[in-house]
Amino acid sequence: MNIISRLLRKNTSPARIAGFILSNFIGLAIVAAGLQFYLDARSLWESEDSFIKTDYLVVNKRVTSANTLGAEGSRSSFTQAETEEIVRQPWVRSVGKFTAADYKVYASLNQGDRGMSTYMFFESLPDEYVDVKSSAWSWKGGEEVPLIISKDYLTLYNFGFASSAGMPQMSESIMSGIPLGLRLRSEDGNRTEEYVGRVVGYSNRLNTILVPQSFMDATNATLGSGRDREPSRLIIDVSSPGDVAIAPYLESHDMEVAGDKSGSSASYLLKVVTGIVVGVGSVITLLSFFILLLSISLLMEKNRDKLHSLLMLGYPLRTVAAPYCRLVVWASLGAMILAVVSTLLLRGYYLPPLEGMGASGGGLVWSLLATVVISLAVILFNILSVRRKVRAAWRF
Amino acid sequence: MLPDVFKSESIPDSQVWRSRLVIKRGCRLLIEAASGGGKSSLCAYLFGSRTDYQGTLRFNSTDVRTFDIARWQEIRRSHLAYLPQELSLFPELSAWQNIQLKNRLTGALSDSRVEELLERLGISNRRDYPVGKMSIGQQQRVAIIRSVCQPFDFILLDEPVSHLDSGNNRIAADIIVEEALRQGAGIISTSVGNAISIPDLSSIRL
Repeated sequence: MNIISRLLRKNTSPARIAGFILSNFIGLAIVAAGLQFYLDARSLWESEDSFIKTDYLVVNKRVTSANTLGAEGSRSSFTQAETEEIVRQPWVRSVGKFTAADYKVYASLNQGDRGMSTYMFFESLPDEYVDVKSSAWSWKGGEEVPLIISKDYLTLYNFGFASSAGMPQMSESIMSGIPLGLRLRSEDGNRTEEYVGRVVGYSNRLNTILVPQSFMDATNATLGSGRDREPSRLIIDVSSPGDVAIAPYLESHDMEVAGDKSGSSASYLLKVVTGIVVGVGSVITLLSFFILLLSISLLMEKNRDKLHSLLMLGYPLRTVAAPYCRLVVWASLGAMILAVVSTLLLRGYYLPPLEGMGASGGGLVWSLLATVVISLAVILFNILSVRRKVRAAWRF
Repeated sequence: MLPDVFKSESIPDSQVWRSRLVIKRGCRLLIEAASGGGKSSLCAYLFGSRTDYQGTLRFNSTDVRTFDIARWQEIRRSHLAYLPQELSLFPELSAWQNIQLKNRLTGALSDSRVEELLERLGISNRRDYPVGKMSIGQQQRVAIIRSVCQPFDFILLDEPVSHLDSGNNRIAADIIVEEALRQGAGIISTSVGNAISIPDLSSIRL
């Protein structure tokens, strides 16, 4: 250690520096571990459906016997007024309408000498609500039509239909590998178009067969009856899925949410708990920052005469500040390394049982990044404070 | 120029306060004042560590109030040497370490030259002794050596020999004159009575 460091580090209190390292380590570790746990556990609720975000609710009207009988005033579609009323709810960010195909769809699946065919239907959603890479989810005419089907359909086929009809069971990847012949016929039967479709994804939360909006618009224009049809399903982008106002509103308006929404409230809860944990960790980190700030300030105050004398000799501010800056950097880096190591150790304990529950661990990037960014902020602000103090010691 | 504290006081026949003074390289100036006459304040103004004065102080016709800290630090390393009255030595360091703290920064003197100066001032036997345990007179000699460990255009000496006997006073004066002559520098010394025995000092009253 050089002579200036020896002079200026005199009066350093090891207890105060240790206090900073300990509290900064605890704060950082809580932040990092909280974030890491969130990232690791999130997949328990969120991993299954990558096509629509958990913030989206797919709603439809409850079907009653009045609908079946076609009674006056009972309709399963949403009028423009109803849609606008939903948009006005405080928990709604935006609402998208499902468009249904205005023609008949006949699909056939041929593999070698075996094949099957069925009537089916299409719906589409505005592209911004479908969370698929744009290259896979687009149709510009000519090429294969991408489809997203409900995972339940494949299950129904595999375990209900295939076994009783003597058909082979199909995995998701095999199903996706087979082109589907699609014959589209207008309702009056006069116009027919043929396409080749391919399943690009399976969704848990969309109980439908989804095609790109561009395909729907094009085919409805050529094959549709031209009637303006009201949507029977809406997709709602909600600002917070756990909002207590949502369920009563849907209930009072006879609406149902498609798919399982317990996942979204659990993931909301996970977010809240993570927020609290990370908040507590941040407060501890902030307090530890002040411990270091005060310790260094006190140390520099005690050594103020020496600082002044060194500056009178003509030492550059940088040289005089360096011992304190080094102290800040080493103490903060020490705390950061301890926090990272303990987060990794902690993760080693909780990850196997979590994976046993079906979670796929998240990456380490975000929690490490948070730790590094917070540490850098602590270092930066302390160094700024050291420099300010040295400048203050320059004058008498 | 005038220190703020003297604002409302009348200063009888001062050649510095409320007047214009030009100091040139190569000068040998003795500033005489009674205790409390603002002698150390003047040194602090000249050395940039205080600015509580009225009027203007110029180095080469540049107002020193426009200098930033980095400029002042550069001046303190290469243009202006200063021996403060309170010495500002580090008591826990040895005489040698105190001197080298400055000398290593500027690289001005060789180790053998420092040894020689210690020898001449009669403190070579205290070379590795903590300065805090030395007498004031010995400390003053250490501080005198430290003050010449740099290139300078002026050397500013605030009561440099207040605790030295006449023999050491003369040796200290010789050393300072040697270094000043070598660099063509000016000497500005203050005194309340026991003045440094530098020949041809022109005396002005504060």
